[in-house]
Amino acid sequence: MIFRIYFLLFGILLLISTPIYSLEVIEILGGKASEIPIAIVPFEDSVGISGQKAHQIISKDLDRTGLFRPLNTRGISKPPSSDININYTKWSAMDAQFIVVGKVESENRNKRSIEITWSLIDIFKEKTVVTMKYMGKKKQYRAIAHKVSDYVYEHLTGSKGVFHTKIAYVKKINDKKYSLNISDFDGFNSKAILNTTQPIISPRWSPDGKKIAYVSFEKKKPVIYVQNLKTGKRTLLANFKGNNSAPAWSPDSKKLAIVLTYNKNSQIYIINSDGSGIKQLMRSNSINTEPSWAPNGEDIYFSSNRGGSPQIYKINITNDDITRITFEGKYNLSPSLSYDGKLLLFLTQDQGKFKVAIQNLISNQVLRLTKGPSDESPIFAPNGHLVLFTYKDYGKTTKIGTVSINGLKRVPIKVGNVIIQEPTWGPVID
Amino acid sequence: MKKSLLLLSLAGLFVAGCSTTPMDAPGDPSSNYYGQDDPSTDSVSSESLGLDELRSNVLLTQRSVFFDFNKYDIKPEYSDLIGAHAQYLNDHSAARMILKGHADYRGSHEYNLALGQKRSVAVKEALNSLGVSDSQIETISYGEEYANQECQAEACGQDRRADITYEVE
Amino acid sequence: MNTPQFNFDFIRNSNIWTTLENDHNLQANLFSFLIHFLLFIFMIFSIQWQTKILNYAEVELWDAVPTQIKNKQIKKEPKKIKKIKAAPPKITKEQLKINEEAEIKLKKKKAAEKKALAKKKKLQEIKKLQAKLLKQEEIERLQDKVLEQEKLDQIKDKLLEQEKVDKLQDSIRDEELVKKPRLAIEADKELLAGINSGELDRFKALIQQKIQQNVNNQLCGLDRVELEFEISLMPTGDLLGEPKMTQSSKIASCDAAVERAILQSQPLPIPKDNKLFKRLKDLKLKFHPNGHYDL
Repeated sequence: MIFRIYFLLFGILLLISTPIYSLEVIEILGGKASEIPIAIVPFEDSVGISGQKAHQIISKDLDRTGLFRPLNTRGISKPPSSDININYTKWSAMDAQFIVVGKVESENRNKRSIEITWSLIDIFKEKTVVTMKYMGKKKQYRAIAHKVSDYVYEHLTGSKGVFHTKIAYVKKINDKKYSLNISDFDGFNSKAILNTTQPIISPRWSPDGKKIAYVSFEKKKPVIYVQNLKTGKRTLLANFKGNNSAPAWSPDSKKLAIVLTYNKNSQIYIINSDGSGIKQLMRSNSINTEPSWAPNGEDIYFSSNRGGSPQIYKINITNDDITRITFEGKYNLSPSLSYDGKLLLFLTQDQGKFKVAIQNLISNQVLRLTKGPSDESPIFAPNGHLVLFTYKDYGKTTKIGTVSINGLKRVPIKVGNVIIQEPTWGPVID
Repeated sequence: MKKSLLLLSLAGLFVAGCSTTPMDAPGDPSSNYYGQDDPSTDSVSSESLGLDELRSNVLLTQRSVFFDFNKYDIKPEYSDLIGAHAQYLNDHSAARMILKGHADYRGSHEYNLALGQKRSVAVKEALNSLGVSDSQIETISYGEEYANQECQAEACGQDRRADITYEVE
Repeated sequence: MNTPQFNFDFIRNSNIWTTLENDHNLQANLFSFLIHFLLFIFMIFSIQWQTKILNYAEVELWDAVPTQIKNKQIKKEPKKIKKIKAAPPKITKEQLKINEEAEIKLKKKKAAEKKALAKKKKLQEIKKLQAKLLKQEEIERLQDKVLEQEKLDQIKDKLLEQEKVDKLQDSIRDEELVKKPRLAIEADKELLAGINSGELDRFKALIQQKIQQNVNNQLCGLDRVELEFEISLMPTGDLLGEPKMTQSSKIASCDAAVERAILQSQPLPIPKDNKLFKRLKDLKLKFHPNGHYDL
């Protein structure tokens, strides 16, 4: 019977004791920049594609970003072509966190058009992220592969993919032969839109993608043209006395900032895209050039030696306030703004070498992305995560390449064995 | 009559149909539409231009002023040269000089265009101070576009210059 | 003898009270009950006692500081008086001048000394404030310690209770009621020995380091973001189930990257001691991938 007393009393204790649930807390500060290991498996091909295969195109695309580490998938026995029966253990053992599988087929036995069905698979969670099907002509094979890269990139990083975009650059075949070329961002499918016997510099793609402005020396002095990409026709935007150069489009593609000299020093002006309404932005005795419009449409960044040596400043169009932006190093040029206005790309001279650098406009931290010694013309990709620039190959021939904004990956863009310079990047097409 | 009218109207249409070439910039005097070709030399005699002198005088045949890296101040060793050219221009009011600035390949193309411009302007201002008026001088710049791309940094001194040229030549 | 039944008849029948007197078994049981009860009261009291120490400490510390200043001041004044008396007044013009100069000098001295005093006072005030702040900090630290101690004690209590209940439920089946409470006490002692905060912190640091290395913060944009995940661990260090996100960074790629970092860090470093493991088996992870601890 005493059991019962006990039982009752401890029963009461049990009732009054409430269970606590206090978790230990661990604070984790910061992290480490790393590349996502991803295996792009060779696509099953029943069509017979010649040239680079989809998995190679996608691997090279993702590799350029410095955010992915494409694993070697050559020689894999029985590569999967869909998300059925994936051997997660095997891929996990290869340290892959994601894999891409796919197949290329031809619909209706018509070999000129193809279908690519592909899947992105999460190895950690052991599930398919997405499966998609793209259709197009056989000659659009590369474009379709780039579309897959875009999707994978956007899904895993949250940034817009730029693998479908175009670039333009100047080709110097010899002292008397120059051309302005447009190609895929990776250099493929290049074609000339202008051929001249005199130098071409500063080509700039309009943000709406329809036109390219550039400086030509064909009139024996620098003048600015605007060329319509659809029609191929061009108009002379600026041919004032002295130099006309450094065209920079406003974010709405309606105006350009340009540099004129009028028998004196280089100064910045604003002009409408049809050539009307010229307005001087500043007056000074120093060099002011290389305008670059901020995405807010209110500020124009430029380089100037008003402080003694070239540095980057910005001017507000409304109140004419001028602020200095770069303070590290004695020689900073060629400003280029990211689409969100948070990052500034520029050229800096460091220990006698010209390198591409990037500055966070909020924290003002500077990171040098390249090693020089003769790097130039840094241009942002439209997603602000990749950079186009020129460097000297074997110290002699100028070439173009991309570098990721974390500085981890520098990859050349191969477009022939001649001097390639003055690149510009076309916009994202939705 | 009709033919000339037709020609005239055609010419007019041609000019009108020409692409939007800006003429004057508001608020800025002396902005001219710079023509395509050099004006002909027929109108002025070679004598009045003293071309012989131009081609034989020791100083006048020197046509380049050289500069240090990233600099556009004129070094004292060129004062005689500039003096001689100033003299020539003052003596021959019909002569037209075109100063062409250059830079070496280091730095960006646009900045070098501006740097080359500064160099030609520096020479122009030196000439101004010796009495030469702007009406006789034109300044342009080629930046690094005609520079030697393969020289080694400091050894590119040849490219850091302002060239003196005359319209007649 | 009797199988336990949950009915209240035995109270109603109220034979307890007479049986209390007579039954020796009952007395033994009552005695053991008393011990339990005392233990319980003892524990409650032990908590109260600590807070009392706190107040006592506060008062004591304060009293020490002010007295020192007073002593110093008293020492200074007598010296001054002596100096003034030392100057003998012989009245000649020269002497007047000298006197005047001496007076001026003295005035200056006085002013200087006043200033010095004022300075000293200020310094001492600052020291006071600093001491106050230090004391406050110490107090806060002590308070934290006490709170921790309270928490620990509460946990101990609950664990004890749970242990007791567990053991009791067992013992109801086999009638060994006397032995069980003693065993329960022994078990509690072992538990207390195992909870060593130093070891806990060490493992927390190991876990923090391992996960941090895997957080690919490039995918978290440029601004300050915060995330929280809750995880449960198995004794092998592997996760039990999926990490549960309780606060998102609002950036999908960042959330995914942090979750991957957690998954990638398996197996997490886990103490072999079972009691310590129990403290760590459910964790709340707070991430600041772009650094900047909040100010």
